[in-house]
Amino acid sequence: MRIKKLTKTAASKMACLAVPGLLLSTALSGCATAPPVSDTADYQAYQQINDPAEPTNRFFFKVNDKIDTYAMKPLAQGYVDITNQPIRDHVNDFVTNIGEPARLANFMLEGKPTLAGTALVRFLVDSTIGIGGIFDPAAKLGYTETDTDFGITLGVWGLPEGPYIYLPVLGPSGARDIWNLPVEYFATPMEAAPASEALRIFTYSETGLHLISARANYLGTVDQINATALDPYATFRSLYRQSRDAQLQQIEQGNASPAQ
Amino acid sequence: MYLRRFILSAVACAPMLAVMSGTAQAQQVPAATAQAFINQSGQQLVTIVNSSASTSQKAAQLHQLVEQIVAVDQIGDYVLGRYINVATPDQHTQFLQLFHELLSYNITYQIKAYAGISLVVNNAAPLGDDMVVNTTINAPGKAPETVGWAVDEVNGAPKIVDVIVAGTSLRITTRNDYASVVIDNGGAVSALLNAMQNRVTQIAAQ
Repeated sequence: MRIKKLTKTAASKMACLAVPGLLLSTALSGCATAPPVSDTADYQAYQQINDPAEPTNRFFFKVNDKIDTYAMKPLAQGYVDITNQPIRDHVNDFVTNIGEPARLANFMLEGKPTLAGTALVRFLVDSTIGIGGIFDPAAKLGYTETDTDFGITLGVWGLPEGPYIYLPVLGPSGARDIWNLPVEYFATPMEAAPASEALRIFTYSETGLHLISARANYLGTVDQINATALDPYATFRSLYRQSRDAQLQQIEQGNASPAQ
Repeated sequence: MYLRRFILSAVACAPMLAVMSGTAQAQQVPAATAQAFINQSGQQLVTIVNSSASTSQKAAQLHQLVEQIVAVDQIGDYVLGRYINVATPDQHTQFLQLFHELLSYNITYQIKAYAGISLVVNNAAPLGDDMVVNTTINAPGKAPETVGWAVDEVNGAPKIVDVIVAGTSLRITTRNDYASVVIDNGGAVSALLNAMQNRVTQIAAQ
């Protein structure tokens, strides 16, 4: 019990120390003030929310909202306007295929050989017969995608999700999931290719396409949340945590489901 | 990409749904009954959404349908959570009134984005006290959406008590949303009621 409490406290402190590393303004400093332990219900609620850096997180939520309003959303809307669903599906397939090597590595680290084998087959089949991943013939052969990442791998290893962290530009994350960022950065097929100007352009293009495609997938959803939620920040936090929990349980139970 | 990557998985949602079992203590609805109920309710929903009626007419029809097939009061009490013990009887009554209004607004907002939809009922799986019926909703120009409907027996009849999309529960999300407003205002339920009233006023002004 004591160890658990200490671990949680340490994790909270880590988040409060790590997040200011991302901050440029001293005005943003500070973590949420915990209610006294004697106030049992409020203290339990505070622990459950597990968002000690909430003031800072909310600041970046507002920043990202502005970036979204003036850049990402217009770009995503434009992308939707000039494409149809089949084209967007092909783009999603292409982006998904580039992520398969990272999924393969993570499934191996998670001790899920069947899912790792599926990721390998998917990458080989879609990269060749699927013309670089633009098509997804592997899914038609029964090798459907299951998503994972290093944050999920750490979860499978037993690391708790830790405090919630809302990142500038990148959005919702957590003390555990944040470790996915460096891993994802290096675990792409482009990292294995010899450096060249063409590869650099391809990498930037793929990243841009990935971001716009991902945002386009949520055009209606984000609008709806902003229009209906009383506190959109808390709503996105809840959605993020629920979806990560569901994803982790799906992997742990080996209950792979097809991707959309 | 996280949300999209999850198709509804009843198994994946089990722990979440187990937590929510406080809405209606009743016998579990048999799978076939729940599927038939969702199929019938879903077809009614599809008929309204795909009709040529105006948005306001559709909203009125949907409001009526929702009151029939959704356990709104039970969901409202779940959403209010522990603050139900803090709220006065008057506040509780006011909360439920506002909750009904906001739920109608949320549904109306969603139908604006849909036309020409179809709903296919898939399997059903028990979870806690609920029976979750999985469906696929197809809309032109959109990727198919898998939606789970948690059905429970309320006052002797099957009712929808939750909607689950991509592993996320509507009532848990709403509960966390509302709780945040109360917590940010020192535990005052009146602040939540004000926020809800403000939102209703905004809607009326649109």
